[in-house]
Amino acid sequence: MGWEERQVRGYPEFVRTAQSYHGRPIFALFCGDKDAEGKSWCPDCVTAEPVIRKELHNLPDESVFIYCLVGDRAYWKDPNNEFRRNLKLTGVPTLLKYGTPQKLVEEECFKSELVRMLFTED
Amino acid sequence: SVQAHKEVENPQKTMEVNGLMPLPDSYDYDLIVIGGGSGGLAAAKEAAKYEKKVMVLDFVTPTPQGNSWGLGGTCVNVGCIPKKLMHQAALLGQALQDSRKFGWQFTEEVKHNWMTMTESVQNYIGSLNWGYRVALRDKKVTYENAYGEFVGPHTIKATNKKGVEKLYTAERFIIATGERPRYLGIPGDKEYCISSDDLFSLPYCPGRTLVVGASYVALECAGFLAGLGLDVTVMVRSILLRGFDQDMANRIGEYMKEHGVNFIREFVPIKVERVEEGTPGILKVTAKSTTGDQIIEVEYDTVLLAIGRDPCTRKIGLDKVGVNINEKTGKIPVNDEEQTNVPYIYAVGDILQDKLELTPVAIQAGRLLVRRLYAGATTKCDYLNVPTTVFTPLEYGACGYSEETAVEKFGEENIEVYHNHFWPLEWTVPSRDNNKCYAKIICNIQDNERVIGFHVLGPNAGEVTQGFAAAIKCGLTKEQLDSTVGIHPICAEV
Repeated sequence: MGWEERQVRGYPEFVRTAQSYHGRPIFALFCGDKDAEGKSWCPDCVTAEPVIRKELHNLPDESVFIYCLVGDRAYWKDPNNEFRRNLKLTGVPTLLKYGTPQKLVEEECFKSELVRMLFTED
Repeated sequence: SVQAHKEVENPQKTMEVNGLMPLPDSYDYDLIVIGGGSGGLAAAKEAAKYEKKVMVLDFVTPTPQGNSWGLGGTCVNVGCIPKKLMHQAALLGQALQDSRKFGWQFTEEVKHNWMTMTESVQNYIGSLNWGYRVALRDKKVTYENAYGEFVGPHTIKATNKKGVEKLYTAERFIIATGERPRYLGIPGDKEYCISSDDLFSLPYCPGRTLVVGASYVALECAGFLAGLGLDVTVMVRSILLRGFDQDMANRIGEYMKEHGVNFIREFVPIKVERVEEGTPGILKVTAKSTTGDQIIEVEYDTVLLAIGRDPCTRKIGLDKVGVNINEKTGKIPVNDEEQTNVPYIYAVGDILQDKLELTPVAIQAGRLLVRRLYAGATTKCDYLNVPTTVFTPLEYGACGYSEETAVEKFGEENIEVYHNHFWPLEWTVPSRDNNKCYAKIICNIQDNERVIGFHVLGPNAGEVTQGFAAAIKCGLTKEQLDSTVGIHPICAEV
């Protein structure tokens, strides 16, 4: 069946979407919001996104890739935002395999070798 | 290289047909490390720093109960890390009780949930396993989850969990395969008993537990299980903590006894049977006295064996490359540069003969070895005065000689022992024991009263001992110790 992508914004939408795919492998990329020109306030997210997109074809069959915009810079900097509190995210971009401790944070997302390892290995 | 990744059905047969396996002109790797634990990973990461082509093979043979784990070795998965976290869980339980005396008010009874604790611990371990994989991949170290064994000179066969075999060659090898828990060899041991390999991920609360053994593994596990509120009994064949200062060992035992751990001394199990199915179910243990004919039968929910650990050196083809091992213990003798009798094969960690079985020792040995091999360094691993801590309910930190060993080596008349009981300030208000914490130092009279042994029994013993270990390494004398002003109010000022 291959893999599919869903794009969401904000924590409640992320959780609803992840829950709807319960039972399938779920990978998620969290980035800062994009402006009208499609550019994120988070420079590392701008660098990481194309690297990650280039590796998407390695995703296992049946899996879901959720692309999640977390919010604006002020929301992200708040130490109590829901992503930090509930998902224990420490930085953007974060690429993770939902429900496991496997994740790549910030500059780790620039490395295609690591992204590929996250997508393809157990 | 032409030799890379050959898939051979029967390498042994190929060797016999071709006679001696020819040495390849160029090897697949500069270094292959067998074992991805504390020693192996430290060595591999260090070698990658010098741009060497390195492979790590790590494989966990499942326990008799079917349990397995990820990259990182014993310490990370089924040793130091989960042990300390569960020890902390037990200490927090005690702290909750103490807190009432400090004014905290809560009316509900405080209970412990095994599954919640285990899930949190395993989650943390999972993040460590992943972290190691990221680190290796990032440093371009090849990692294979496969069982490595020697099949000929400079050649290793790696078998993954699907049974697929690959051959690899390397200029040098480091064996870092570590150890696994020993079983008793009695009926029912593998079918019904668990070991430390199973305890930290047990998917149900162990309940009423019998711990067989008197090692630090046995006492630490018994200690935190009791601290979590479980009914725990320790069955000891002879003495506690063999190899440790016996006066300290007995104090630890006494403390545990007074705090709810039952001891059955001078008995060994001879049979384990299942009386009732379930998780955990009920087991019946038959045990025989070591001093007479008495036989007892007792029932427990769980039986945890902690009677020792054996090196994983018997089935890795060492005979094919001529590496000597101690046939009785399985340990590998090495020179002071961690080199086996085969010049291109080295070994680090728990499998070494006559060396300390500690994570930091394995890491240090692995790193220094690699620096000597590839960076022209000459420093050898210093195995003297290595500090250690036993995380029993009353923690025990030590560095240097035990009292018995000091007497044996220097003569009773040449050593002086200074000791003191102390009562931690934090224990006064909640009325905890005022005569159990204890510290002693052993000095060599003939050498300026140099401190040659340091022992402390009390909270945070590990934190206390670390600094003193550095001082001992610098040649601390009693006079220097006396002239060091204490920090007040802390335990270490004693």
